[in-house]
Amino acid sequence: MMNRVFQTLNIFFERVMGIGCMDIGGLLKELLLEDKVAIHFDFMNGFFDINRSIVISWVIILVLILFMLFITSNMKVHNISKKQLIAELIVEKLRGITYGMLGEEGLRYRDYMVVVLVFIGASNLVGLFGQTPPTMDLNVTASLSLMSIILVEAAGIRKKGMKKWVKSFAEPMAVVAPMNVLELAIRPLSLCMRLFGNIIGATVIMELLKMAVPVFIPAAFSLYFDLFDGLIQAYVFVFLTSLYIKEAVE
Amino acid sequence: MDLTTLGAAIAAFTGIGAGIGIGIATAKAVDAVARQPEADGKIMKLLLLGCALAEATAIYGFVVAIMILFATK
Repeated sequence: MMNRVFQTLNIFFERVMGIGCMDIGGLLKELLLEDKVAIHFDFMNGFFDINRSIVISWVIILVLILFMLFITSNMKVHNISKKQLIAELIVEKLRGITYGMLGEEGLRYRDYMVVVLVFIGASNLVGLFGQTPPTMDLNVTASLSLMSIILVEAAGIRKKGMKKWVKSFAEPMAVVAPMNVLELAIRPLSLCMRLFGNIIGATVIMELLKMAVPVFIPAAFSLYFDLFDGLIQAYVFVFLTSLYIKEAVE
Repeated sequence: MDLTTLGAAIAAFTGIGAGIGIGIATAKAVDAVARQPEADGKIMKLLLLGCALAEATAIYGFVVAIMILFATK
């Protein structure tokens, strides 16, 4: 009985809506387990592969560096050009964003936060150009979150000194010390999984939409999934990292 | 039918919690902005943080579902 219903539904979707041919399992496999190798080197006995996410992030870095070189060239103190005005505006705005999150104590880490914000934001926006975002690779987000947690702990050590840093695990009570130690692992894990999961979820939904309705509707949804969600996730990553830094240096 | 598919479907139920959490957070944020429109920026920042934290559970469920579907084979 149920089988009959499913069959009828399947036929209905296939005939009427034209989405029966969409192979969701195949799509997910392609996205997750696809041949991600972009450059392949042969050594004497083995090989050395460079993943596609790395190559795409190289391109992003190159574009960002070229943009920065272009916009900061020919700077003056008086009688500044429009280009320099834009550059100053960008720097002021980005630093303003991170200033509110880091507070007075953590100001020295503000430029790192700006760099991470711009990089993650740019790599999430790559989906607009039809490429897979590098942040869809678990390795990229894992390395970003590892860098974050190392920075957080290093900031704590630098501010408090080794002894006080070790002591700070037992605050506010000695009972919570195991939880504080566990947080060393939980924080980077959650940072990494949040970014990865969000980007891959958005990409999967966009691909499904493109399969179901190839015209017009994906453009509207792309505005949310590619533009808004990607930028929000970059902001959230930086926000959480600077929150941890703020907590560590207090 | 393959039972692993069912497992993945159950893992996707984490979305319920995240939906309720984000709904409550947004409702409260709207209340707060209506009461104090000048505190707009601060409320927005806190709302984003809360939403990101609430959303995390749904994302974990999603990652678990993907793991069940593809990593176990």
